Amino acid sequence: MSALKGLVIIELAERVCGEYCGKLIADFGAEVIKVERPGGSPTRGMGPFKDGLPGPERSTLFAYLNTNKKSVVLDPAVPGDLAKLKALLARADALVDDHADPLFLPDDLSVHFPRLVHCLITPFGQGAPADYQQARSLNVINAGGWAYHSPSETPDDKSPLKGAGRFLSDYEAGIDAALCVLSSLLRQRRSGSGQFIDISEVEVQVNRTDTVLGRMLAGEQEPSKARTAYDMGGPATSFACADGYLYIFMTTKAHWKGLIALMGAPEWVQDFPEDWLEFHCTPDRVAQFRAHFAEWAKDQHKHVVSVEGQKLGVTIVPVNSAADLPGNEQFQHRGFFQSLTHPVLGEALYPTASYKLSATPVQLHSPAPALGQHNGEAN
Amino acid sequence: MPLPTRSGPLAGIRVLAFTKVWAGPYAGKYLAHLGAEVIKVESMTNLDEMRAYGGVDINAAPYFLSINQEVLSVQVNMKTPEGLDLIKQMVAQSDVVIDNIRQGAMERSGLDYESLKAIKPDIIQLSLKMWGTEGPLAYQTGYAPCFAALAGLNYLVGHEGEVPRGMNIRYGDSTAGAYAALAIVAALHHRKSTGEGQFIDLSAVEAMTSLIGDSLLAWSVTGEIPQADGNYHAEMCPHGAYPCADGEWLSIAVDAEDEWAALCGEIGLEATPSHATLAGRQADRHAIDAAIAARTSTRDASQLGEALRAAGVPAFRSQSSIDLCSDDLMWSRGGYRMVSDHRTGSRPIIGPPWRMTPDAAQIERGAPLLGEHNDYVYGELLGLPPGDIADLIARKVID
Repeated sequence: MSALKGLVIIELAERVCGEYCGKLIADFGAEVIKVERPGGSPTRGMGPFKDGLPGPERSTLFAYLNTNKKSVVLDPAVPGDLAKLKALLARADALVDDHADPLFLPDDLSVHFPRLVHCLITPFGQGAPADYQQARSLNVINAGGWAYHSPSETPDDKSPLKGAGRFLSDYEAGIDAALCVLSSLLRQRRSGSGQFIDISEVEVQVNRTDTVLGRMLAGEQEPSKARTAYDMGGPATSFACADGYLYIFMTTKAHWKGLIALMGAPEWVQDFPEDWLEFHCTPDRVAQFRAHFAEWAKDQHKHVVSVEGQKLGVTIVPVNSAADLPGNEQFQHRGFFQSLTHPVLGEALYPTASYKLSATPVQLHSPAPALGQHNGEAN
Repeated sequence: MPLPTRSGPLAGIRVLAFTKVWAGPYAGKYLAHLGAEVIKVESMTNLDEMRAYGGVDINAAPYFLSINQEVLSVQVNMKTPEGLDLIKQMVAQSDVVIDNIRQGAMERSGLDYESLKAIKPDIIQLSLKMWGTEGPLAYQTGYAPCFAALAGLNYLVGHEGEVPRGMNIRYGDSTAGAYAALAIVAALHHRKSTGEGQFIDLSAVEAMTSLIGDSLLAWSVTGEIPQADGNYHAEMCPHGAYPCADGEWLSIAVDAEDEWAALCGEIGLEATPSHATLAGRQADRHAIDAAIAARTSTRDASQLGEALRAAGVPAFRSQSSIDLCSDDLMWSRGGYRMVSDHRTGSRPIIGPPWRMTPDAAQIERGAPLLGEHNDYVYGELLGLPPGDIADLIARKVID
């Protein structure tokens, strides 16, 4: 059983944000028909590719973003195809688009397809200056503030970072777009009418900082040019260890006492007051702690020290790489990775979803479609 | 006293929230900002830490006010049998129950899914925990930067050749909350179709892992473990943030030859024939980054960004907190907006990143005082006479 059985979504999106939105909805069981122009979505042209060879069915990016979808190729410049596209919209419940210069304008759609939920994701949202809307993912994460403040404690001469992978801001925008589309579809079930949903990717970035930037906006904390303006202070950070990296988070006396026990009470801990984390957490002391801790950490194994730490109430965790995840006992227990066979990419492990729904679990039942695999659906 | 009817796509949905700190309240906020009636269950005996951070007045705590707009607050002492009974009466009137409180706490209070289902057969319950509610590591606890480290996300964030230090320490909670809101709305569809509720078990670690899904599939297919790679992008070069005057930074993402030529023209970089192709530029990218930085470092980030955009090169200033607070577009588009505030009359907040027309949800009321909606919940929803409510207060069942 799937949560969204019976819903039909048309996806005109060609960027990661819109395709991820469509994927989230498709993985809940809706029928998502991806309409691609001849040549296919630009994400088919983005790697990494199977065996390093480009090709429309060889992109791992496209394969991830388009599970459970159908692909129909239509050329809107050809009148017959445009008519087919409109016929698809007439039977669809929602449309997901992510073009700054969309094929269908919101006002036209609301006149001709009043029942349709229309979601349009753009970098800065409707009404933004046209030149802003050419922003790419890197520009979005920089405009929204996360790049400037990542990693924590970045010195002034080191560049802001794009985040994890190439598309972090796209994933974030895709979540909110899917949330809005599904919410609006509940309203459609009640009222029979659609809505236009305008998503700003940059505003999604900013919303994720509500308790940080929100306090500055209200004048409760001073906004500044500091790269550290979002930081919390304290010793938490990543350290190199024998088999990779580990991360420690400490804020209380209990954490500190646990860590002392974990390390076997080395002599240097006597230089630190027992309650230093709460009441004497100066930058000097943090630096002093980190120098000592780094020496100890470099001989530790991340998984061992994490399990031992948890027993002592110390929040110390491995900084896992991709290769660490599928074998992790909790990921396995929850079935987070699912094996799926794609005709070109072969069998591979796909991340599923962070939410386990007892009645309608997310399932990947079909790999990303070949270009035009479902052209028959448009006739 | 009935509350004013709300509009928005989730109007008519009632959510009971046992949420604390950030991830759970963020889910509640998102549902409220879509029109749901979200009732936060609170007690003086078990306060949300966000009411305590940054001040002494639990009704004016900056963190709490920054997140809980359009949320209602009811007080119940869950440590009393009568309090638990009142909660069960609230559950009977609700569509959704969310919690992100300590592992096992809902179960110990008799608020596990099977018990809730006995009260309200079509209830949707979502629990949000670091590793989910059960399984071999479910006993472990942590904070958002730990989710991101465990998830594989932080491993991908760092300057090239350095320890991957990960996203800013604040990253993670709000995203997990957004995923929670999404899963709840999907479950509302299933309930609408079939009449069936369900239990949703959300892992905050997996929420973070979802954000690098393409990198993980790429690893599974190619066998190459993705690494922290600064601002490297296999398909774009140059791709990075470059220093400008006054300590500012400008992000530039070049995808094609015409963009590269336009960038060179604007910053006065001599076009080298070997840099005409992406492969040629990638082979020399560190030198190219240095050459760009040497030319941007004396320029004003905003002006250079504007000039590059006009020339067709995607570029935007890397925004600091002061840049963001004074961002005209955020204000003019309604990305920031004003809500009511009990002390000062009004408060600026970060509004939702969506606009909906027609029938958007109103977002006008600031975060609630502790117990501000006791009368509504006990009087209107549960139908208790005023005398009974006064008695419950006197006996600290409502506290």
